[in-house]
Amino acid sequence: MSRLLLFYRLIVRPLFREPVRTALTVLAIALGVAVVLAINLAGTAATGSFRSSMETLAGDYDLEINAAGGVPESEVGALAALPYPVRVSPRMEDYAVIADTQQTLPLLGLDLIAESRSRADTPSDVNIDQPENALRYLGDYDSVWVGESLGRKPGDRISLLINDQVHAYTVRGVYPDSNGNASAVVMDLAAAQAVLHKFGRVDRILAKVPQTPELEEWQRRFKEKLPAGVEVRSAGTGTDENRRMLGAFRWNLRLLSYIALVVGAFLIYNTISVSVVRRRVEIGIVRALGASRRSILAAFVGEAACFGFVGALIGLPLGRVMASGAVKLMAATVESLYVSSRPGPIELNSASVLLAMAVGTGVAIASAYSPAREASLVSPVEAMARGQREYSTRVHKTRDLVCALFLGLGAAMASLAPAVAGKPLFGYLATLLLIMASALAIPALVEGVTRFSSRPLGRILGVEALLASRSLSASLRRTSVLVGALSTAIAMMTSVGIMVGSFRQTVLLWMGDQLPADLYLRPAGNAAADRHPMISLDLVAKIARLPGVAAIDRLRAYEISFDGMPATLGSVELSVHRSYHKADFLSGRSTNEVLAELRDSNAVIVSEPFANKHHVRAGDSIALPLGEARPSFRIVEVYYDYRSERGSILMDRNTMLRYLPDPAPSNLAIYVAPEARLETVRAEIEQAAAGHRVFIFSNRDLRGEALRIFDRTFAITYALEAVAVIIAVMGVAGALLALVIDRRRELGLLRFLGAASGQVRKLIVVEAGLLGLLATLAGVALGFALSLILIFVINKQSFGWTIRFHWPVAVLLGALMVVYVATVLAGLYPASVAVRLNPIEVVHEE
Amino acid sequence: MPILSVQNVTKDYLTDGQRVRALDDLSLEVSRGEFVALVGRSGCGKSTLLNLAGAMDFPTSGHVLLDGVSTSSMKDAGLTQLRREKIGFIFQSFQLLHTLTVFENVELPLLLAGKQNARATARESLIWVELEGLGERYPHQLSGGQMQRVAIARALIHRPSILLADEPTGNLDTSTGNVILELLRRLTREQNTATIIATHSGEAATLADAVVRLRDGKIEDISRR
Amino acid sequence: MKSRLACLAVVLFVLPQLAAQYRTALPGYHYEFPRDHFNHPDFQTEWWYYTGNLKSADGQRFGFELTFFRQAVNRDPAKTATWDVRDLYLAHLALSDLDGNRFYHTERTNRAGPGIAGISEVERRIWNGNWQIQWQGNEQKLQAIDDHFELHFTLRSEKSPVINGENGVSQKAKGSGHASHYISLTRLVTKGQIELAGRNFDVTGLAWMDHEFFTHQLEPEQVGWDWLSLQLEDKTELMLFHIRRKDGSIDPYSAGTFVDAEGKNTHLRAGEFALKPVGDTWTSPVTHAVYFIHWKVSVPRLGIELEVTTPLRSQELTGNTKLTPSYWEGAITLAGRRDRSPLGGTGYLEMTGYDQPFEIAR
Repeated sequence: MSRLLLFYRLIVRPLFREPVRTALTVLAIALGVAVVLAINLAGTAATGSFRSSMETLAGDYDLEINAAGGVPESEVGALAALPYPVRVSPRMEDYAVIADTQQTLPLLGLDLIAESRSRADTPSDVNIDQPENALRYLGDYDSVWVGESLGRKPGDRISLLINDQVHAYTVRGVYPDSNGNASAVVMDLAAAQAVLHKFGRVDRILAKVPQTPELEEWQRRFKEKLPAGVEVRSAGTGTDENRRMLGAFRWNLRLLSYIALVVGAFLIYNTISVSVVRRRVEIGIVRALGASRRSILAAFVGEAACFGFVGALIGLPLGRVMASGAVKLMAATVESLYVSSRPGPIELNSASVLLAMAVGTGVAIASAYSPAREASLVSPVEAMARGQREYSTRVHKTRDLVCALFLGLGAAMASLAPAVAGKPLFGYLATLLLIMASALAIPALVEGVTRFSSRPLGRILGVEALLASRSLSASLRRTSVLVGALSTAIAMMTSVGIMVGSFRQTVLLWMGDQLPADLYLRPAGNAAADRHPMISLDLVAKIARLPGVAAIDRLRAYEISFDGMPATLGSVELSVHRSYHKADFLSGRSTNEVLAELRDSNAVIVSEPFANKHHVRAGDSIALPLGEARPSFRIVEVYYDYRSERGSILMDRNTMLRYLPDPAPSNLAIYVAPEARLETVRAEIEQAAAGHRVFIFSNRDLRGEALRIFDRTFAITYALEAVAVIIAVMGVAGALLALVIDRRRELGLLRFLGAASGQVRKLIVVEAGLLGLLATLAGVALGFALSLILIFVINKQSFGWTIRFHWPVAVLLGALMVVYVATVLAGLYPASVAVRLNPIEVVHEE
Repeated sequence: MPILSVQNVTKDYLTDGQRVRALDDLSLEVSRGEFVALVGRSGCGKSTLLNLAGAMDFPTSGHVLLDGVSTSSMKDAGLTQLRREKIGFIFQSFQLLHTLTVFENVELPLLLAGKQNARATARESLIWVELEGLGERYPHQLSGGQMQRVAIARALIHRPSILLADEPTGNLDTSTGNVILELLRRLTREQNTATIIATHSGEAATLADAVVRLRDGKIEDISRR
Repeated sequence: MKSRLACLAVVLFVLPQLAAQYRTALPGYHYEFPRDHFNHPDFQTEWWYYTGNLKSADGQRFGFELTFFRQAVNRDPAKTATWDVRDLYLAHLALSDLDGNRFYHTERTNRAGPGIAGISEVERRIWNGNWQIQWQGNEQKLQAIDDHFELHFTLRSEKSPVINGENGVSQKAKGSGHASHYISLTRLVTKGQIELAGRNFDVTGLAWMDHEFFTHQLEPEQVGWDWLSLQLEDKTELMLFHIRRKDGSIDPYSAGTFVDAEGKNTHLRAGEFALKPVGDTWTSPVTHAVYFIHWKVSVPRLGIELEVTTPLRSQELTGNTKLTPSYWEGAITLAGRRDRSPLGGTGYLEMTGYDQPFEIAR
């Protein structure tokens, strides 16, 4: 009890005397926790359980049988005849866009006759409620069944964009899709094949096998019956692959979210330090009266824990709210860069609540430990020594500088280390070391800058600036912590700004090389990294015949699984590429030379992310599952590619057609004849495409579109930075408030000495401005160093992209200005508090 | 004409909801060149009177006239101006800014007032208090007596007509305190200021031109020399 | 054998009936084997029906049923894609563990697709997934695999195919074409294995096959039927069926076939045999249908008097969906006399139309 009383009197009561500052500290922690929680929740929801939309409809089958370009359908018969009690479910899997809502849904072609057994008997999650309906409408290719969440009724008409054409369908029934199934459009296999023009193959076969023998044995038995190019995998494999693919994306976002918490940690450290320094005398008295060191330590750690706990409590609902914003951004990114998936519900479960509480309280306690220990070391004698012990006394600048140097060296070394299990762990370590090094170097920076600048500042900005500058260096430790927090936030902003800016610039340059055609054409609907809708052959033929069209490059893409990771397999027309295209290869070899090697041969070029993910180089051979074959291909070159993080493999169109004879292209690159006008040709193509739904992009449109996706991808990064900066600025406000209160006597004295209230205000605002300036200096320097690690270590190791360094000057300057203005504004409230102080009271109190 | 004229001043404070009368219908006049000592027990109203005289506070009723102008009639800017031109403060605990050098401390009032040539004036000011050569030191490098001299130099730098000192020797040993008092009296003559010190020191009383004895917010007696 | 239409009744109801596209069963059809053991896509409906009584080496008794149905649903010449549904292939599989007192049954429905189900004269195969009949010379290999049991049998016919009815048609109602072509293999000596719940049984016994194809479907007043296949110890066989009418009377087109030990067959008209339930009934806990499971058979013309009982009362196949109605089809035991000598045997009994016969059709 007595200890609690001590805690209450020494710690809790003072907190209520400064409600604004207490609130700011709590809010900083709350924001930090909220961000971490939001990213965690949104990440889980946006990436789903890493199941693609298609997977949510897969049911509880055990095995999945895939082949690039589809499994020959004859295999379905062979598998059905296997003398084992297994069940196979052949499927057509694609996507359809509801024409009037633009909603993209999985399109599923099922053998509705075989699947319409009783519900209990059907492993498929898609249950057609009335099998007799399925039978009745089987012959009608316009029959579809949809998830009930779409709100359609049997008999409704529904227009669906499939590939590049809109088709009219009749809803014949709805199935319940509430239990985590994605809503989908289901049709009979025959109808699906017809509308997709994919005859002779099914996209996937799922199989349910008995529990004994083991799954591996079943896998072997199936494999034995199937051609080499056909893969038999356990049913969760695709999900695992997606998990692996999305791993780096989630990791990086999660770590970014922790930066806000690091900034929060600085502020807790500052708050507790202030609290300790202010109460040295009280601590001394309490110690003199018999309190142990441990109870003092516990009291201050307890204070931090209170901040952390309350902050986390507030952070919980805040995080939940932020998550709903974040999930949209993340889902869009996941879809455009990785895999088609719809965000799941945001679930605030006990695990995430625990995480938030643990993170909030833990960070608070950890960052308070050092000042709390200092408090516990206060000797009882200090109660008697009435002299004011300044805040700066325990700063060891030289020792800290040496430490900083060593940490910097450590960071440099860590940045040279390779990735660990595909994760740039040492890269992260390097950033952490750099942040620590900068925190240690900041006292020296603050002192150096203020020492040499206070007089010039005084001359330029008046005596208030002199006073402000002196006061900052006088309370060096407090100032350093504040500058540390703000500079960390600024450094993060700067580094990510530089990284994104460099990336953007790199992509821009690359697009200049990679998009040589004048017009690009793809089926309408939302683009996604793993969807490759096709363009009708008749349309292609019509366009090719247009007089203004000089050449067409027919590009075709398939989704494949390579070595446990999803990848995109594409083909290009080398005859066209040869004459127009200049690709950029890692080796710097000439494009013509490389493409000549590709022509008509079993040779491929692979994208840089692919090469990095699978550790392959030019000259290596890889076996690719193509239809039912598994031929070997030589890697001729590795090319730069910034389209998507999933790796890509490119081959000659003729080579691909040998294995996958479907001639329909997924994209067209159209070259306009030199004498023709672009707008005229475009109009002609639009006319030719009547009855088809295609998007036609001019070269400029496409670049704009690419940049739009690029910017959307990084929107969440900017949001995270903004939160960290907000926390830091709040910290500046809170700390200045503490500074005002601690220096109230001095401020009152100035009034006695003839200072106008405006001068007192100016003094505080200038102090905020100086803090901002110091933090910007340190932050930009640290940010530059961090950006190098981000670009050349973390990004390279996580995603495998080569990014060329580029200073995004305008963006950075703008952001820094905003931060700077915010910091100065953060000084306004403490300044008004300073102005309201009663000089008589503060000067005479002692 | 007296530079300071306190006319029937009453001052009440509200502490914990209780009305406390610090000054009760008090009147006093001080002219330039006069060295006045306020004596009396703690809480008798000395500091309150000094604050009113320095235009840091205002009477509940009655008037404080500085150079013929009532402080109650002035706005904040006017009061600041008044302090910048006419008033100098000296405190028991010196109240030097530890982050500033002696020079910087001394010239602070001029700098706050936006005056030019502060350094030269500060040098001069330090000569008055016999601290020439210590201008670049920081307060913590000085003795208590030296610190109070710096404070006096600071209070006088703008040639105030009124110098208000609240227990200026309270934190000093007796001999140093006497030296400081002597200095103050000398400077009062040289600068022709009206100096009022609140003090417990008997020495102060012997040096003063007038000794005003306060008790419960009223003047018990005034003994003029 | 018209009885077995029950299985297809619902299908027939929901699918558009374009019977005019199909051939009907007319007298004078020229049978030719092995051709006529396989597919007749000109006819709308066709089935192959295997039932039998088997005994393991240690005396454990089993009954089985494996049926393949083909129901034509579409003959649109434009629908030629692999997955287009021209015929529905249904199949039923049941195993009666007569001594273990357990009845297992399952069903499946498929389209031909890329070889998922079908009948091929070239391959000499009738199959639906991994349930199949493979002819090898005179022998048929029967395979059926279920989650709970597997059947692997070799069937060898001791007699040549029997054409039921008169003049190549089994007339089911008044009117030309209201008939089927109905072929039976009445004595199939069966050997093979049953795998049940992890145990293997080597079994031997007798099986029966019915193969019927036709286009004409039931008349509205015909509500159900009772069908029996009887394999007697004197190497003769008897097939009898009753068509029950709405008014409770027996349809005059009920008929039967007697096959003597040499394989010579005799057509039996409705008046030439009697088929009477004898009180004992079994009520299905699933469908609440009440089935007669004790019958008296008499064919005065042949001097045959038999009591029909079953070792396993619960042999009802309940449809998993509304697509297939429920019916009782099970192994039976025969005891009685021919003339004065005692005569026993085994066989199969089918009773349909007892479970809310035409609810869906209403």
